[in-house]
Amino acid sequence: MRVLLIEDEQRLAENIVAALRETGLAVDHAAEGEAGSHLAEQGVYDAIVLDLMLPGKSGQRVLQDLRQKKLHTPVLILTAQEGKESVVNLLNAGADDYLGKPFDLGELLARIKALIRRAKGIATPILVASDLELNTVQQTVRRRGQSLDLSPTEYRILEYLIHRPRAVVSQQELLEHLYDFEWEHHSNVIEAHISNLRRKLNAAGTEPLIETLRHRGYRLREPGATQ
Amino acid sequence: MTGNISITRRLIVTVLVLELLSAIALIVVVAFHERHVQLRAFDASLVATAEMLVGAVQDAEDEADNVMLDPQEVQIGKDAAFRVEDERGRLLGSEGELPRLEMSAPGAPAFRNVDVRGRAYRFLVLHRLRIVDPGNPDGGVRHTITVVYGTPVGHVWHEVLEAIRFYAIATVILLGVTAALMIWLVRKGLAPIYELAYEAERISSSDWRFDAPARAKKTVELQPLALALEAALARLQRSFEQQRRFTNDAAHELKTDVAIVKSSLQLLSMRKRTIEEYIRGLTLSLDDFTRLESTVQKMLTLARLEQRTDNDSSGAALRSCSLRDAIEDSVSQIRAFAELKVIEVQIESAAEARVPIDSRDAFLLCSNILLNAVQHSPDGSTVAITMTVNERTVWLTVKDQGEGISDQDRLHIFEPFYRGDPSRSRKSGGTGLGLSICRAICEHVGGTIEITNGTSGGAIVTVTLPAEALGDGSGLSASLKAQ
Repeated sequence: MRVLLIEDEQRLAENIVAALRETGLAVDHAAEGEAGSHLAEQGVYDAIVLDLMLPGKSGQRVLQDLRQKKLHTPVLILTAQEGKESVVNLLNAGADDYLGKPFDLGELLARIKALIRRAKGIATPILVASDLELNTVQQTVRRRGQSLDLSPTEYRILEYLIHRPRAVVSQQELLEHLYDFEWEHHSNVIEAHISNLRRKLNAAGTEPLIETLRHRGYRLREPGATQ
Repeated sequence: MTGNISITRRLIVTVLVLELLSAIALIVVVAFHERHVQLRAFDASLVATAEMLVGAVQDAEDEADNVMLDPQEVQIGKDAAFRVEDERGRLLGSEGELPRLEMSAPGAPAFRNVDVRGRAYRFLVLHRLRIVDPGNPDGGVRHTITVVYGTPVGHVWHEVLEAIRFYAIATVILLGVTAALMIWLVRKGLAPIYELAYEAERISSSDWRFDAPARAKKTVELQPLALALEAALARLQRSFEQQRRFTNDAAHELKTDVAIVKSSLQLLSMRKRTIEEYIRGLTLSLDDFTRLESTVQKMLTLARLEQRTDNDSSGAALRSCSLRDAIEDSVSQIRAFAELKVIEVQIESAAEARVPIDSRDAFLLCSNILLNAVQHSPDGSTVAITMTVNERTVWLTVKDQGEGISDQDRLHIFEPFYRGDPSRSRKSGGTGLGLSICRAICEHVGGTIEITNGTSGGAIVTVTLPAEALGDGSGLSASLKAQ
């Protein structure tokens, strides 16, 4: 999952970016409204964390422009401003959640994850696909009750696929949503990770979970589809 | 309601009292006039009746050529009394009771006021010559007739009282009508005041809008009040809004700084880390915390400077320091930062001058201005300090070679938390309190601070401060005198 943080306060941004990366999210950071708006409108983010008081272009405007372009990326507002009125205005303008400064970093992470989950139509932090169980809080994967040991990237690929059941996910999409600009990436990186992931998932000697559709991408096999 | 003063009541009472007084004066005048007129009429009727009595004196047709009173021709009023005598004292006729009257000399008719049995009478004594048989060759017999005639004067007083009563009743009716009219008119006339009061009553701490009603503004007497209210409220609203903005900005600033400190520590405790990671994290957290501390410190400084204006006129008089020392101290303090940006800080001219400012505040003033100048200077440029003194004033100018200042910024640059360029992050802009602190220090001693653009680019900060007299002990004596 890839998150965009638009925050002009350098030290605060550094901390949030570090925390988000530690929980396994890819993060891009914009310190200024215009740049943030430009990035947000690429449509590759699964969630946006937006500060209100921004140089260049206010957070409010960034949000308005984003919604005007019919982008439904969930947006969490960070604000140090007082008053219920502004909160109501923000939610009405298309924000999905807000957090007042100073906030709890753990709460921010939990809210971002919840936003991503809900945007993908999932209600609980434990995702299940046939006999596979993925805990997004502890970042653990079990198949038939057996714990699997995945690398962070493998985990993230699996998490993304499980968030998009029945959909064909292209390599390009995986690249866009799993890596931020600070990562060196090539499409064959994905291929390598997928093959490792497949190997680890199939270790138990069951039917393969991840389908490869030539030139199109990958798909998580549905339960019962094998029969 | 006792002790309350009602303009309406005062006005009405004043008008009514004046009206009453003039009515009383009028009644008095009328009474006198009426009495005079009535008395004249009374006297005229006395004279007429008396003449009529004289006319009723007839030739008695006797040998002695006497005269007699023909009773047929005597018609006198009720209660009237008369007596007609001839020159020998012979009574020709009489009626009613007559007092003894001092007879005046023959000739002019004389009036006498006499009490007869408790009633006031007015008598006329008239002497008339009556000639019997004037056609005779000897010219006839001459008789001098004396007529005394009087009637009660009560009637005159009755008329006068009637007149007074008429005027009194008219006055009472007039007063009543006037009072009613006055109440209505005054209420109507005072309506703008009520409107103004109503408008003023709507003002609350959340809604400061005040538009004096047009009628109040058009009323000459109310105009100054309405305009003063408007102006006062506008001033209050401005300062109230300034306060609110300051509080909001301060809260925003503090919350952001706290958020940084908190997130730094929480990031560190997200999972177990190596000692090196902890050391690095703690160092960063300490930096973040130092920034929070400096924000708080600056806010407190500003609060202290702004509060001091109220209650320290005695203490401040004794505080003073050398502005030159403060400049030199701040230059040596900023040197390290300036060298980092390869900026040369020059003191072009400096004079000895004492200013009535605490030495710490003077240092704060100079170092904030210098820091601002260095922050806005491009690398490798020069910041020039000039100081000039005359007997009463010190001028301090700090000139940089930066980008200068826009007109928009000039208006607000000294406001707390104002950041000229919104794209400038907090990192380069500091807390946005430095110049506000400078202004508070200057204004506290009656000085000024302003920022302008130099002719060859760059911003010039000019500080004007009152100078204290130099010399051995003269500064002290001046300050003692000031106490």
